Amino acid sequence: MFRRTRRLALISALAATAVILSACSGTPDQAPSSAPSSPDPDATLHVGLVLEPTNLDIRHTSGAALEQILIDNIYEGLVSRTQDNEVEGRLASDYEVSDDGLTYTFTLNDGIVFHDGTPLTSADVVSSYETVRTDKTVQGNAEFAAVTSITAPDATTVKIVLSEPNQNFLFALTGPAGLVFKTGDKTDLKTAENGTGPFTLTRWNTGSSITFARNDDYWGEAAGVAQVEFQYIPDFTAGVNAALAHDVDVLTAVDPNLASQLEDDFTLTKGRTTDKATLAFNNKKAPLDDVRVREALRLAIDHEGLIEAVGAGTTLYGPIPELDPGYEDLSDVISYDPEKAKSLLAEAGQEDLELTLTIPSFYGTTVPKVLISDFKKVGVTLDVNSVEFPTWLEDVYTNHDYDLSFVLHVEPRDFGNFANPDYYFGYDNAKVQDLYAKALEEVDPDKSAELLAQAARIVSEDHAADWLYNGETITAVSPIVSGFPEDSINSRINLADVTVSAEK
Amino acid sequence: MIRYALVRGALLIAGLLVSSVLIFLTLRVFPGDVAQLIAGTQASPAEVDALRESLGLNRPLLTQYTDWIGGIFRGDLGTSQLSGASVGAELLLKAQVTVPLGIMALLIAVIIAVPFGILAALLRNRRGGTALSVGAQAMAAVPVVWAGMMLIVVFSVWLGWLPPQGFPRTGWSTPGKAIESLLLPALTIGIVEGAMLMRFVRSATLQAAGQDFVRTAAAKGLTRTRALIQHGIPAVGLSIITVLGLQVAGIIVGSVVIEQLFTLPGIGRMLVADVGTRDLIKVQSELLVLTGFVLIVGFVVDLLHRAIDPRQREAA
Repeated sequence: MFRRTRRLALISALAATAVILSACSGTPDQAPSSAPSSPDPDATLHVGLVLEPTNLDIRHTSGAALEQILIDNIYEGLVSRTQDNEVEGRLASDYEVSDDGLTYTFTLNDGIVFHDGTPLTSADVVSSYETVRTDKTVQGNAEFAAVTSITAPDATTVKIVLSEPNQNFLFALTGPAGLVFKTGDKTDLKTAENGTGPFTLTRWNTGSSITFARNDDYWGEAAGVAQVEFQYIPDFTAGVNAALAHDVDVLTAVDPNLASQLEDDFTLTKGRTTDKATLAFNNKKAPLDDVRVREALRLAIDHEGLIEAVGAGTTLYGPIPELDPGYEDLSDVISYDPEKAKSLLAEAGQEDLELTLTIPSFYGTTVPKVLISDFKKVGVTLDVNSVEFPTWLEDVYTNHDYDLSFVLHVEPRDFGNFANPDYYFGYDNAKVQDLYAKALEEVDPDKSAELLAQAARIVSEDHAADWLYNGETITAVSPIVSGFPEDSINSRINLADVTVSAEK
Repeated sequence: MIRYALVRGALLIAGLLVSSVLIFLTLRVFPGDVAQLIAGTQASPAEVDALRESLGLNRPLLTQYTDWIGGIFRGDLGTSQLSGASVGAELLLKAQVTVPLGIMALLIAVIIAVPFGILAALLRNRRGGTALSVGAQAMAAVPVVWAGMMLIVVFSVWLGWLPPQGFPRTGWSTPGKAIESLLLPALTIGIVEGAMLMRFVRSATLQAAGQDFVRTAAAKGLTRTRALIQHGIPAVGLSIITVLGLQVAGIIVGSVVIEQLFTLPGIGRMLVADVGTRDLIKVQSELLVLTGFVLIVGFVVDLLHRAIDPRQREAA
């Protein structure tokens, strides 16, 4: 109740954006010039994070807090993502997609073993993916809707057949849906693990920290540090204090307004994300079903000023962020024009408009305050209804009972929400739905991205929502640490290439 | 005496049962549930419902209640719907912070309240006594959060003596650090609770001063102050124990707030977090344990009171 968390990582259901040094991405070891000495293989890396996972069962529980630390470090899938958001092999040394986009053939790497010592075979992949396909309670079930068969022609080959092409399928496999678990494993995934990754779980001290140890029997190249300790510090000021006291070597999600305190002892990096700060309009509810009202609200918002108040982020004028396919600069669609906003409202007969903004309380008060003052200038009174997140899920997400809503949507490639009239946006446009379906079916990635861009432009021109900003995360990294990922680390932190040099 | 204890014990169990029903029903009024939270913002209603079914949230309320309360009778507080961890084990773990915090707060409250309360009574018609009473009145009215922030400003920010927040990761294996981190929070609760207790000590002392036996003692040649301390205070000491018992509840409420302010990994902070994630089985077991604790303290205090005070036994 006293949380001041402004960012939300909690929300990601699917995989997260891109990025990050994958173990096999071949990124050269670029030691920063300031690195004092050679890497210490026995070192422990201390990482300060904000949001603790509620449990470790990544198969059933949504949330960036799990994906952030578990994927690529503890668990691995057939494929993973590179820093450029490209799909690349992980457990699979090689994969092929047939020309019709229906058949995916993966070849497994040699010598992969689970942490309990059992070798991984194609049968484990089949059983893992069968579970995703058939069990509705498992994350990614919806993305497997078009899967008709998953087979293992031999011990190192997996074949997946779809009923229709799906441009997003391979990408979905880089998230929780694609992770491989041992057949018939009895491990309690909520508190323990039996993955294949370069780290094993040592201890979870609920309410404070999670510790990983290097997996010395890893099938690939061993990790650069002996141990990693994630410390969960929900309070931003406390996080900065912990960094200043050298309790942590890396602090993620630094509050932009506090970052300057760390400038002397740390390198500050600004990472890109797919976090879309979404001001949702209830498109099905009057007066927001009137496009003039929606446009007026967007014209009333001074996006640059808002980003300045938030302290980090870049402008985003459409539903697709730069890291996702289909991105296009849509700043020509909307500008800051309170006068035009007023006349549009007058035209719509809504000079004395009163609206309610429903916002989960952990986002704080900065964004609502800016919106209240921006809207006031065009004669719109904004009431702010700050609620607990579960209440938001019930009222806004499930029951669609709201006028305006603010949430940071962090999932990559979630444009489909605007092609789903039953999503809480309530945006229903047959043209967009058609373009999106075509984009998914399109086998050529470039053509698919082009179709998405067309659809995204329509969504923005219809003012289906406003995208207040595209989030950026600030990470403070101690000079003794090198190789720490920069982008999208609120959804994934691949630690395999991170090294810590001996203390000065 | 035994009959009294039995009747009182039966009342205690009845009280717990009623609380369990109230706790269970009140929590069901909250909007949102754990299935929605687990499923997140990309899940379809069908997926959420499948999850709800597998978590047993679709069962009739009565079944859910009897399952829970049946477990409690077998000594099983249930498991968290989110983490799968045993609620009993989690409570024991967090109690390592909250119980020492509560004991320290109670000690501080008594150390403040008893001497100052008696002093305020003795000086009642002088300026010092009035100042003490006004001070106590003011402190008792202060919200715990505000008192905590003021103490942080003075002792952590200005003087730098004590940590502003947190509990050592090493826990009680480093007792010095652990106590250091609990000192400020305990002082915060202790001062506010102590101020309330002090007012009671003062009025109890005044009441004792008016008793016949104190006047008789004074008539026999003791000074008024000595008569009060030797004969008056022991007579009212018992009622102070009763009030202390009541203050346990205040300290528990205080610790919920204070653990947030000082980010202490205790029961209070866990409770708030669990309400926020709608982990209802965990919340209801936690609340029942806290309620049970307060009720049992009241029960013990009542029995003690009766065992020690001969007047009460005769009255029965």
